[in-house]
Amino acid sequence: MKYIRTIAIMIIFILIFILLNMLLSPKYMTDLVEGSMISQYYREDKNHEVIFIGDCEVYANFSPMVMYEEQGITAYVRGSSQQLIWQSYSILEETLKYEKPKIVVFNVNSMRYDEPVSEAYNRLTIDKMKWSKQKVDIINASMTDEEDFLSYVFPILRYHSRFDKLTKEDFEYLFKTKNNTHNGFLINKNIKPVENLPTKRKLSNYKFADICYDYLDKINKICKDNNIELVLIKAPSLYPYWYDEYEEQIKEYAQRNQIDYYNFKDKIDEIGIDFSMDTYDAGLHLNLDGATKMSKYFAKILKDNYNLIDYRENEEINNIYQKKLTEYKEAIK
Amino acid sequence: MNKKILIGVLIVIVLIIGVIVYMSTNKTETTDTDGTSKTAQEEIESYAFNYNGKEIKLGAEFSREEFGQELGYSEVPSCAFEGVDKTYTYEDYEITTYQDGDKEKIRTIYLLNENAQTEEGVKITDSLDDLKSKYQEGPTISDNKYTYTKGDTSIEFIVENEIITSIEYVLNVE
Repeated sequence: MKYIRTIAIMIIFILIFILLNMLLSPKYMTDLVEGSMISQYYREDKNHEVIFIGDCEVYANFSPMVMYEEQGITAYVRGSSQQLIWQSYSILEETLKYEKPKIVVFNVNSMRYDEPVSEAYNRLTIDKMKWSKQKVDIINASMTDEEDFLSYVFPILRYHSRFDKLTKEDFEYLFKTKNNTHNGFLINKNIKPVENLPTKRKLSNYKFADICYDYLDKINKICKDNNIELVLIKAPSLYPYWYDEYEEQIKEYAQRNQIDYYNFKDKIDEIGIDFSMDTYDAGLHLNLDGATKMSKYFAKILKDNYNLIDYRENEEINNIYQKKLTEYKEAIK
Repeated sequence: MNKKILIGVLIVIVLIIGVIVYMSTNKTETTDTDGTSKTAQEEIESYAFNYNGKEIKLGAEFSREEFGQELGYSEVPSCAFEGVDKTYTYEDYEITTYQDGDKEKIRTIYLLNENAQTEEGVKITDSLDDLKSKYQEGPTISDNKYTYTKGDTSIEFIVENEIITSIEYVLNVE
């Protein structure tokens, strides 16, 4: 009887501790929704032929719903804010536990970052990942000097100060969640035209770091090992500047490894992007109209050049996507 | 008996949470303490840019009126978070600011051409020898970037083929 009591007390204690961790962790549901994108994937049907990985330049610029409607392509964007290349690798590795796409599209913008940028961005990518070897790898690879691993295991260590800042969201989404994206695409309908950009700074070194090449090699290898075609892209963002020296290195890498590479910044006119209308933050990301143009353009490239199935002709998949399209169209009204 | 156990459990829970909170808070306070001492040091010595007799200090509050009409202005937001880096371009230099509470402060000053020079008299197009003669204390050299640091401020010179091609004042804050 004494043991049962002790065990019951321990269970109650653990439950309270878990509950406190859940309550104090940010929910990313109505504010900083970028933090909820990585976990939304777990609730999806895993039937995608194309998986995007990369930073905000993928989740803001490529709409899988448009790609499906235009070409019948089933795609999912596993992007997150400031997703660093080692994070992209682990997210890809994790994705391959669930499904084997035909194509992985990697946005090369993160090749410029050879070290963690900030804890805040790390949290947006990592906090809501399911526990796995990949999550452990990402944490270890991404932590800044001020962070410690335990705070990812027990969020209360990091977020205890939120105790007096809890909002309605923290209680409303304590046990439930919602989808903030459409197959990983985050809708933004605002318009903020490009007027001026800061002067292009000279850099002391334009060469991508070895660690970035190492992870690009790993992404390439894991794709090859799984018979997946890797496609490299550079989204058509005007800022931060994509230097010619960066471009040359990616072109050289793609050529050496026989990987297709598309720099959409060179195709802005052909795509029809008008940076006085099609961006929500003065040239960093495309808004809904811009992303729609971009997605139509890229969907055609994918359909014309890769052996993708038109799933609009598959009743079962089409039914799923028609429902998604209805939700999407409601959201973009 | 039951009451005793309940009180015991509550005490344990409170103690554990207290320890966790204390550990985390203590860590934050250490950082704050470091920050405070750096700020004090910054007040003692830091780089400043002089232009036509006007001293522009990194970390100082920026006032658009004070600088007059800029030639160009841009706002660069972050990917997900609120707040923007604002950039004001003037004839010979460019100022980037950041938001510190309700104050807009100067983060970087980027010299655009040889018409602007540092307080020590170095400008774009000067030689590496000129730089070395005017900044005698050892810089940190990374690739072709020479960085001189004072307190929380730095001046970064990029040198190509022995010629200075870029000069930027940087406030080293989060």
